[in-house]
Amino acid sequence: MIANAGHLPGLSREALRWREVAHGAWGERVVLALPELDAAQAAALCERVRENARERLKQMPVTRIVDAVDAAVARLLDREHPLRRKAEHLLPIVTGYDRETVRLGLTGYLRTFRRPQLLRFLAEDFANPAMLDGFQPAAKGGLLRAQGPELLLHIWAGNVPALSLWSLICGLLVKAGSIGKLASAEPLTAGWFAGLLAEIDPEIGECLAVVWWKGGDAAAEAPFLQAADTVMAYGGNETLAALRAKLPVTTRFLPHGHRIGFGVVAREALDSRKAPALARLAAHDVARYEQQGCYSPQMLFVERGGRVAPAEFAGYLARELAALAHRHPRRALSPGEAAAVAGWRGAQELRGLEGAAELFGEPADPWSVVHVEAAEALSPTGLNRTLKLVAVDDLAAVPALVGPYRAFLQTAGVAAAPERLLRLAERLAAVGVSRIAPLGRMTAPEPGWHHDGRFSLLDLVTLTEIEPGAEAAAEGFAPYAD
Amino acid sequence: MTQAEIIEALLAFIARPDASEAEFEAMALKVFAYQFRNNAPYKRFCLQRGRTPLAVKRWCDIPAVPITAFKDLTLSCCPPEAASHVFMTSGTTQGVRGRSYHPTLAVWQRSMLDNFRARFMRGRARIRMGILFPDDGELPNSSLAHYLSLARRACGTPDSQGFIDAGGLDLDGLLAALARAEAGGEPYALLGASYSFVPVLDALAAQGRRFALPEGSLILDTGGFKGQSRELAPDAFYDALSAAFGVPRDSCINMYGMTELSSQFYDDGNAVCPSVKSGPHWVRSRVVDPLTGADLPDGEGGVLVHHDLAHFNCVSAILTEDAGEIVPGGFLLLGRVDGEASKGCSVAVAEFLAAARG
Repeated sequence: MIANAGHLPGLSREALRWREVAHGAWGERVVLALPELDAAQAAALCERVRENARERLKQMPVTRIVDAVDAAVARLLDREHPLRRKAEHLLPIVTGYDRETVRLGLTGYLRTFRRPQLLRFLAEDFANPAMLDGFQPAAKGGLLRAQGPELLLHIWAGNVPALSLWSLICGLLVKAGSIGKLASAEPLTAGWFAGLLAEIDPEIGECLAVVWWKGGDAAAEAPFLQAADTVMAYGGNETLAALRAKLPVTTRFLPHGHRIGFGVVAREALDSRKAPALARLAAHDVARYEQQGCYSPQMLFVERGGRVAPAEFAGYLARELAALAHRHPRRALSPGEAAAVAGWRGAQELRGLEGAAELFGEPADPWSVVHVEAAEALSPTGLNRTLKLVAVDDLAAVPALVGPYRAFLQTAGVAAAPERLLRLAERLAAVGVSRIAPLGRMTAPEPGWHHDGRFSLLDLVTLTEIEPGAEAAAEGFAPYAD
Repeated sequence: MTQAEIIEALLAFIARPDASEAEFEAMALKVFAYQFRNNAPYKRFCLQRGRTPLAVKRWCDIPAVPITAFKDLTLSCCPPEAASHVFMTSGTTQGVRGRSYHPTLAVWQRSMLDNFRARFMRGRARIRMGILFPDDGELPNSSLAHYLSLARRACGTPDSQGFIDAGGLDLDGLLAALARAEAGGEPYALLGASYSFVPVLDALAAQGRRFALPEGSLILDTGGFKGQSRELAPDAFYDALSAAFGVPRDSCINMYGMTELSSQFYDDGNAVCPSVKSGPHWVRSRVVDPLTGADLPDGEGGVLVHHDLAHFNCVSAILTEDAGEIVPGGFLLLGRVDGEASKGCSVAVAEFLAAARG
């Protein structure tokens, strides 16, 4: 079968070139057709989306957008809906994640965007979300109005299913005309979602487009990069630097680079009752999306002095990962990914020869755990269910071990008693950690999450203020003025 | 076997191109037993894999160490301080360079020369050479500097020259030598790191100059671009070499070698890329699944493992970070397999290290 990707209002399928890309996994194959726009088509699309956003989206109350997104998400949550069925069928083939991971992941993630959660997104960033609809009183006096960009360009990356919806929905909530560039590794969900929105509220459907070009193709991306007011981009630092260099200086650039997650387990969480359950949660965070997420843990710092020693906890983790491998088989790895796993494992094995590391699992197992007793700084593993457990005498040692990598920090999964959680969080915050989650929920940020410590909505808008003085001065010109 | 005995046996084996498969296997098992006994970290590695000289009966079951081990471990059968030469990798991981210890270069040199004569010299005793790399006096720890210096001493004419030293590239000297060679009618050989050719190509292009070196001239490049120059795709690179120097692509030979081995691999020119590479009779190459170490069927891409008997003092069997595929007549080298970015938004080792380097 061939599935067409994207959402391209105003462009007929026949008028476009389509690049066909085959994907295969779990014994099935699918061919995706990705749209390739020429410069004139791209420029016209940008203009059309901008124009429609100005004429329609900007004129709507934000609640209408919330309702439409809620309705679209409701359909994607309905396992009987044809699109949901299509998603459950195709996403495992395209991304390689197993069916259950995709199904559970989609449901968990989409729940983030129901009506109450969307209102929470708004409330999180705006003291009074009505300022997206009109001027509202400001605390300092006067009035404030928030405007999203007329044209917001999203450049998505990665194969985590539906990840694109986060920024797409945030853009819509601030009434931004939105064009999203699909990630080659998951080029489906954003287009489906846009299509659903167009079905539910055709006017909104005219204010967004979902496109594709080959990453780094200068000619293809230029019309979009030139037209956008704001660019939200995901990718490695090299990709982001190249993008930034191509943008006009007046364009607002919101980059989200690659990140590394880690876990911290306090001794009070390590008794014979709690530790196995905790290991299960941590293993879940490792296995979900094969550590491809920015929030996925690659290292676990485990405190000595609990009833369960770090070495023993490493054994629990190994067992849990082995069990998970049965329920959620690992994606088939590309040769490069397999080499990354083998390279990392090989290096750990060599350290093991010197007695410095203990390795769990066989080379051919779809997971690896290595346990080291000497404190060691944060570093990436081979990904795809490879985890390093580092024993520390005290949690207080952890901030110094992760601090040198501030630019890559984001999520820490912490299991500790309240007082220690707060004390540790204080120091983790100081070295650049922006999110502290419980183990088991590292890959599922809550609605309203401040992605990379930034505001999901507020970073997108520009405020216009009517100063109290202007308001007062206007009084002087009123027909009723004395 | 003592060190002297293993050296003698290897020199004899290298001298016998007609050695049978069984003889290779017997020699490989001897070398393995020698390394197992004398190289303590390798012994531990083998024990962990459950592969001892008693258990291993076939050369392909000899455990191959990941190439990073040369950074992490001291892999030497002689005490490291007894090594007359230590070759180090140019690439580092957080400041650590891979090392190969050589108590003598006798086997290394014999391996290099026999193979170089057979695969590069094309029947000549000597050829005038231009070397685009510093010599071994300047870079005593570089196996490539030793390789090229030995090539020049043993197979170059007395008027052969090096054109790169601490001061950089002597472009004028090179262009003068090329012009002389062009006028003189004697074949000329230009040898160096792949990246050393790029500034020369750029300079020639900028000057609008090209040479037509005499028939029989040769080019040898090795090692790729390693971020030392801009990257060229293989076809573009050999087209450019061929156009700039007038040497046909089938006389542009790529040598594939590494610090962690004592022998090299060659193709028979690069008329077609990727070219088929192969090693001498004292080397075997396999392509494996990096996770399991199991051999992959011919024609399937995996990671290259080399068994180089000449690398007797360290470890003869190494698991590289090079992607390859077994084909009739040898193997295809398909680039590096490490450093693949994550498919998602988690940071992977390569990017992390790049940032740590600053």
